[in-house]
Amino acid sequence: MALPEWLALAPTIVLGAAAFALFAIDAADPRAENGALLAGTATLGALAALAFAGWALIAGTGTEEPITLFAGQLVVDGLSSFFTVIVASVAALVTVSSYDYLRGRGDQAEFYSLVMLATIGMSLMAAANSLVTVFLALELSSLPSYALVASLKRNRGSVEAGLKYFLIGALSSAILVYGISLVYGVAGGLRLDAVAEGVATTDLTGVLGVGVLMVLGGFAFKTASVPFHFWAPEAYEGAPAPISALLSSASKAAGFVVTFRVFTTAFGLDLAGVDWVLAFQILAVATMTLGNLAAATQETVKRMLAYSSVGQAGYVLIGLAALGGGQNAGVLGASMLHLLVYGFMNTGAFLFVALAEHWEVGRTFEDYNGLGTRAPVACVAMTVFMFSLAGIPLGGGFFSKLFLFAEAVGAGFWWLAAVGVLNSVISVYFYLRVVRAMWIEEPGENLGRIGEYPVGIYTAVIAAAVVTVALLPGMFLVDGVASDAAAHLF
Amino acid sequence: MAAFDYAPAIAVLPLASFVIALVAGRYMPKGGAFAGILATGGSLVLSAWMAFAVAGGDTYNESLYTFVDAGEELSLHLGVLIDPLSAMMLVIVSLVAFLVHVFSLGYMNDEGETGLPRYYAGLGLFSASMLGFVLADNLFMAFMFFEMVGLCSWLLIGFWFRDAAPPSAAKKAFLVTRFGDYFFLVGVVAVFATFGTAAFAGAESFPTIAEEALAGGSEGAGGAAVTTFFGLDPGAWFAVIALLILGGVIGKSAQFPLHTWLPDAMEGPTPVSALIHAATMVAAGVYLVARIYGFYALLPTVLAVVAFVGGFTALFAATMALVKNEIKQVLAYSTISQYGYMMLALGAGGYVAATFHLMTHAFFKALLFLGAGAVIIAMHHGEDMWEMGGLRKKMPVTYWTFLAGSLALAGIFPFAGFWSKDEVLYEALVHGLNDPLLLGAYAMGLAAVFVTGFYTFRMVVLTFHGKPRSDVARDPHGVGWNVKFPLVVLGALAVVAGFLNMAPVAELTGLHVDYLHQWFVGPLEATSLETYEGLIEERAGYEAAELSPLLPAAVSLALALAGAGLAVVLYRGAEPTEHTDRLGSAKRVLASNYYQDEYQVWLAEGLTARVARAADTFDQGIIDGVVNGTGSVSLLSGSRVRRIQTGVVSNYAALLTLGLVALLVVLGVTGGWF
Repeated sequence: MALPEWLALAPTIVLGAAAFALFAIDAADPRAENGALLAGTATLGALAALAFAGWALIAGTGTEEPITLFAGQLVVDGLSSFFTVIVASVAALVTVSSYDYLRGRGDQAEFYSLVMLATIGMSLMAAANSLVTVFLALELSSLPSYALVASLKRNRGSVEAGLKYFLIGALSSAILVYGISLVYGVAGGLRLDAVAEGVATTDLTGVLGVGVLMVLGGFAFKTASVPFHFWAPEAYEGAPAPISALLSSASKAAGFVVTFRVFTTAFGLDLAGVDWVLAFQILAVATMTLGNLAAATQETVKRMLAYSSVGQAGYVLIGLAALGGGQNAGVLGASMLHLLVYGFMNTGAFLFVALAEHWEVGRTFEDYNGLGTRAPVACVAMTVFMFSLAGIPLGGGFFSKLFLFAEAVGAGFWWLAAVGVLNSVISVYFYLRVVRAMWIEEPGENLGRIGEYPVGIYTAVIAAAVVTVALLPGMFLVDGVASDAAAHLF
Repeated sequence: MAAFDYAPAIAVLPLASFVIALVAGRYMPKGGAFAGILATGGSLVLSAWMAFAVAGGDTYNESLYTFVDAGEELSLHLGVLIDPLSAMMLVIVSLVAFLVHVFSLGYMNDEGETGLPRYYAGLGLFSASMLGFVLADNLFMAFMFFEMVGLCSWLLIGFWFRDAAPPSAAKKAFLVTRFGDYFFLVGVVAVFATFGTAAFAGAESFPTIAEEALAGGSEGAGGAAVTTFFGLDPGAWFAVIALLILGGVIGKSAQFPLHTWLPDAMEGPTPVSALIHAATMVAAGVYLVARIYGFYALLPTVLAVVAFVGGFTALFAATMALVKNEIKQVLAYSTISQYGYMMLALGAGGYVAATFHLMTHAFFKALLFLGAGAVIIAMHHGEDMWEMGGLRKKMPVTYWTFLAGSLALAGIFPFAGFWSKDEVLYEALVHGLNDPLLLGAYAMGLAAVFVTGFYTFRMVVLTFHGKPRSDVARDPHGVGWNVKFPLVVLGALAVVAGFLNMAPVAELTGLHVDYLHQWFVGPLEATSLETYEGLIEERAGYEAAELSPLLPAAVSLALALAGAGLAVVLYRGAEPTEHTDRLGSAKRVLASNYYQDEYQVWLAEGLTARVARAADTFDQGIIDGVVNGTGSVSLLSGSRVRRIQTGVVSNYAALLTLGLVALLVVLGVTGGWF
């Protein structure tokens, strides 16, 4: 029995259904603070999306022959399913942990429905196949994000961060849409394949180049790459920690998938006169270095994680910066793998911060002193995340980073790998600072409030830790999927 | 054969006594001594049973427990090999261990020492390790127990760990023997890598494979499958392996230049010295060479090295014993010297001579150490021979047994040492007549006979004769049955053990009194004397000259008597005087042990530590400096980077736009848009 083609969008559709269900619950009983029902609905939606996307990957839906929908505006292939898996996993972890984080607050329904809407946007970014849908999906994920960052309405930091995020986001969107218009002017089409045809024969190199770079800028905002990263440290720090996790993991992954698809499909590697690979090389080096250097000097853990997530974006950018060396599918696949592991380890780390915020232990490294004596299980999980982020083989982050650097070297970009390794060395310092504080330092008096162990956040943190560790041996199960998906782009 | 089913128990019994002494020793009478006595007694009975079984023509070569089984590639297992050699050694070790346990009752318990359970636990573990080493059927197992023996010697030498000297001596013994053991370990790995097996005996054993490989090589036929390294041909590579294993042997058997630990190890309790430094641990090295003699016999170069090291050590250590004033120090250097003789015999192709001397030496040296222990008890733990004198009348049992041991050590007819040492020298001579290197080793061994006679009788005369030279010596402490019994047993053996193998008499009269030869002809072909003799002739190319044993025996006996006589002449009388000053500057060299310790300390402190410090400086300064430099640079630039994040959103917007413009300019220039 042949299923209708639109069912290939099932992950996005169930996310939408969850969002509408949340609206309906809120409309039926707006004053209710039934956190379990709301969080459960959202989590169910995210898990269903994860299941559909995972099934699509296993069953091979679109992986061999991409399924195009709505006159080619959307496409379902290995790449879109792979990133929908990442996005939906992060969303599920975030909604589960929000159950505890939001307990006792009002307006929970809108929080969850905004999370769902942002997630829909991200899953659509993975499937967008035309510059219009790219822009719409990107805005669909961004607009709820602004509101979510500011969702702690009585917290100055949260509101300020939301506003700054929105302003920079607006500027970036303007740059993006201007860039799209320039590309459209040159190519005469908006679907990515039409753009590819159009730019191949154009003489308007300068206009096209400006357009391509402005599009790149719009995407760089989403991936928080230097110099479009300025919003990130403040938004991640001011936002509720689960939202920081969502933005820094899922939203970043979505930004990358859209970049991968647009640049490889629409602009291609043979674009005469516009050496966008060079632009990514500059961005990669700048992002890695700046992110890690800044992270090394932070005093608070959450801000350190914010900069670390900038630095990690720099590693992923190697996947684009090392294109054209004959290992295209390899480097891009390695980038995808790194984003997959990163989705779990980084989300887990932010959720651990959410746990610390829940306990009100404080924000600085010193405040985490001796946490291992009070909450050993969570601290083991955090240790896994830190080691994995640093690329030490306690989690999948070791292999994904190793593949990334190895593929870059294989493609002839040894200097990119060298910069990456140097940055990894720096990063060990600040990641292990957390581990040291938790396990080696003497506990302070601020730990007195740790009395209860929130089920939701614990579940999410431990699930993330288990997957992070499991991806160490499990890397060999998924790397074929990633490189196949990447290979179809070329 | 039922007897061999109990073979593992020989090692397990003392192990059990170790556990009992450790766990329950403090609740038991005598600190757990009886458990050890019973266990080693049981081992002795079982060992004797093994020896009878072997005498009846049976052997045993079984693997018992496998650690790692990687098929053809590698198999690490524990097993038991019982043949004439190991059966003989089992009897020696368990007998000496048993007597030392008994003696300890007098030396430790009666003297009110503390920590006895620890002491007996150590003795038990040591006996178990040594017996396990003797039982081993492969090199890997031998290495394991070799190391355990080393560990136990560390525990026992450092038994009085609250004083300054014993822990230091224990550390030295451990480190110096460990230095040799590194070579041994590499050798074990090399054996596995080369032959794929480390078994001692049987068709699949590494000596057999080595022989087939060499035979195949020389006859042009396809040899057995061996893997050699560094592009060496099998002969050269096997020599490398044999020398590596020899490293462990030289360490354990205290051969030059790794002998320096043994005199220091006299800091341990005297029964321990008897057990470890006379009969067992030091014997482990020589035993190992004998155990894989089928391998060494293939390699003439290595044999020559063994012989020369042995001959040199025999003379070298004996000269150092000349000027020592402490009774145990004299015995320590004599031990080194005597093991030199065994190495000389092994290197000269005298397999029987070496094992014969190993046996007689075990008896008479254990006797001398225990006798010295009795003297030390009597002297209230004084060891200086110049404080003694005249003890002959006060402790007759000790005196007569000690004298028997000394006559054996000096090699005076008809005591045990005469027969064995004579055979060692005879083997070295008959093979050395065709080989100048061996002849040199023989000459050194022969010279050592004179020196041995001298220092032995200097010790006897100073200790027991003349007039008491101190108050303690005038009124010595009595010793009990538990001291006298082991002395008497060993004293009897020191007199008669030589009759086991009267090779010269057999030669002269045609009587079959060379029982040990017949014993080693043995039932197991791979380790039988005939095989070894064949290999020595064929592979090592040793030729025995036709020579009557009478003349060399007479020469060495004359030298021994001359040495002993000179000592008696010089030191006799009521008030003997020191004559060492006559040696002039040589005295200082000898008393300083040829500065061996000094140069080894220099090697450790002056050279190794300096190189290590230089490496450390390089690591700290250059490597860490770069890393720390990276760290501080990154923290510094990190704080600069931090300042970009002003918190003012319009700054962000401006920087973002400027960044984009900068990108546009870079790409525009490279892409030629303008």
